[in-house]
Amino acid sequence: MTTPSLPSVENLFGYVQKRCLWQFFSRSWDRKENIEGILGIAAKLLLGEPVTLTSPMDRLFHADAKILVADFREHFPAITTLGAEEVKALLQSVKDRLLDLAVTSSKNRELHQNLY
Amino acid sequence: MPMVLLTCDKDIPEREKHIYLKAPDEDTRSFLPLANAPTIPGTLSERGCSFCGAKLVIGGVLKDTIQMIHGPVGCAYDTWHTKRYPSDNGHFQLKYVWSTDMKEPDVVFGGEKRLEASMHEAFEEMPNIKRMILYTTCPTALIGDDVKAVAKRVMAARPDVDIFTVECPGFAGVSQSKGHHVLNIGWVNEKVGTVEPTITSEYTINFIGDYNIQGDTDLLQQYWQALGIQVIAHFTGNANYDDLRGMHRAKLSVVNCARSAGYIANELKRQYGIPRLDIDSWGFNYMAEGIRKVCAFFGIEQKGEDLIASEYAKWKPKLDWYKERLKGTRMAIWTGGPRLWHWTKAVEDDLGAEVVAMSSKFGHEEDFEKVIARGRDGTYYVDDGNELEFFEIIEAIKPEVIFTGPRVGEIVKKLHIPYINGHGYHNGPYMGFEGFINLARDMYNAVRNPLFKLARTDIRATTTSEIKEAV
Repeated sequence: MTTPSLPSVENLFGYVQKRCLWQFFSRSWDRKENIEGILGIAAKLLLGEPVTLTSPMDRLFHADAKILVADFREHFPAITTLGAEEVKALLQSVKDRLLDLAVTSSKNRELHQNLY
Repeated sequence: MPMVLLTCDKDIPEREKHIYLKAPDEDTRSFLPLANAPTIPGTLSERGCSFCGAKLVIGGVLKDTIQMIHGPVGCAYDTWHTKRYPSDNGHFQLKYVWSTDMKEPDVVFGGEKRLEASMHEAFEEMPNIKRMILYTTCPTALIGDDVKAVAKRVMAARPDVDIFTVECPGFAGVSQSKGHHVLNIGWVNEKVGTVEPTITSEYTINFIGDYNIQGDTDLLQQYWQALGIQVIAHFTGNANYDDLRGMHRAKLSVVNCARSAGYIANELKRQYGIPRLDIDSWGFNYMAEGIRKVCAFFGIEQKGEDLIASEYAKWKPKLDWYKERLKGTRMAIWTGGPRLWHWTKAVEDDLGAEVVAMSSKFGHEEDFEKVIARGRDGTYYVDDGNELEFFEIIEAIKPEVIFTGPRVGEIVKKLHIPYINGHGYHNGPYMGFEGFINLARDMYNAVRNPLFKLARTDIRATTTSEIKEAV
């Protein structure tokens, strides 16, 4: 029996790219809010930390994060063997890459329009 | 591989910015097709007009509403009966079409009197119908008819009616996408919040961007019902006009078609604090994921799991049967925009198909970010594709089946490539678990259809009347 290899930033980033519509909302502020909100809660869920849900947006991010974490655990089972700092660093790197692709370096000309 | 200039586009080199062939390790930071841009003169676009985007796609779906089209009769006829969105009240919206039938004297002297008379006539002829959407078209916008003033006069004369005006003539934008935008923003600003819905469940959603194509809404409604979720408004499949006026009371906006209706979901979030959850309603894996997310939002996860298990038990064996037979099928998707990214992974994961070319009529750059993230390497991603480009790409990638509309579909049939109606479906619904079996069945029947092989045989005898090639 082989030990599953540890998930890389590339693995998780690639998975989010293919599966998650929330990274590509209409405007830069929506994308940023989603990426930070969902991955923030996902890190807590992965570490088994308590999550406080006070607003409807918290509940939305929690719903997305819950499915994402379940997928990560299914497709990259070794993620459960990582320590707290490793999980945080990994998700921070995924978050940075997503923000770069979907917000900072995006060529989408509508991303920064003020109105929907 | 960067952007591609096809041979057929040598005289319109601007098209290079609209066509991308994805290579390994590339992403949309480097290459993103230009989209939602004016069609380049010299290209034979497949796009529709902005009025069409408002009327045919969104407004015309409503089942209890007169669609008064202020313009020449063709604007009404050409946006009638070209999409199949049934309703549970006898398909009122499919049976009738309304037009002010503008003629030259009305254009010269103004069409407001004619419009007002037509509106009264429509309400008189259909005394049970009390709701109307009024659309301007190119000529009535150009002559400056004040349709809002006319609507106010008619509402003053008939206190029991409500009228919504959409001022989005065909030339308002580069494609039908502008019509989606104008209707969405107008509706949320003028009509949402004007009716208080009756709340029957603690779990309430708006289901946005689903138009009941061949029964999609009806099928998904079974799921929401099983979960105990009240849909305040379907935007706009099988919906009543007043349902959509109560959208502000939903706790969650669930969005399927983000292109045609993302605007209203964004505004419901901004103006009323209703969170927006985007899901994919086509495909087993995606549909299950969407149900799980909605249920997680409301804390009713077990209900969701029970529903998914029951649907999988019913439909998964059929899916597996089709997957075994469709594995490796080379497929092209040439539709409006969102179905590219909704479908590419769904058909790959659930049916084993390989999507080798995708073209969008009215998608924005956001849609290309989504589809390039999800799509395969070696696949063409085309904005506002034209006929000659389709021929050249077909030659290059040899698709076995093409999901597209009837216009392009009839062309590819002549090349003996089967097409499936990617807009109105062949034998839908296609959404949900059961729907994806319908899609798989249509795809299987298309790919295995022996008539295409027979059709390739030229049975004409030699003729003395030759048709010469164009030069």
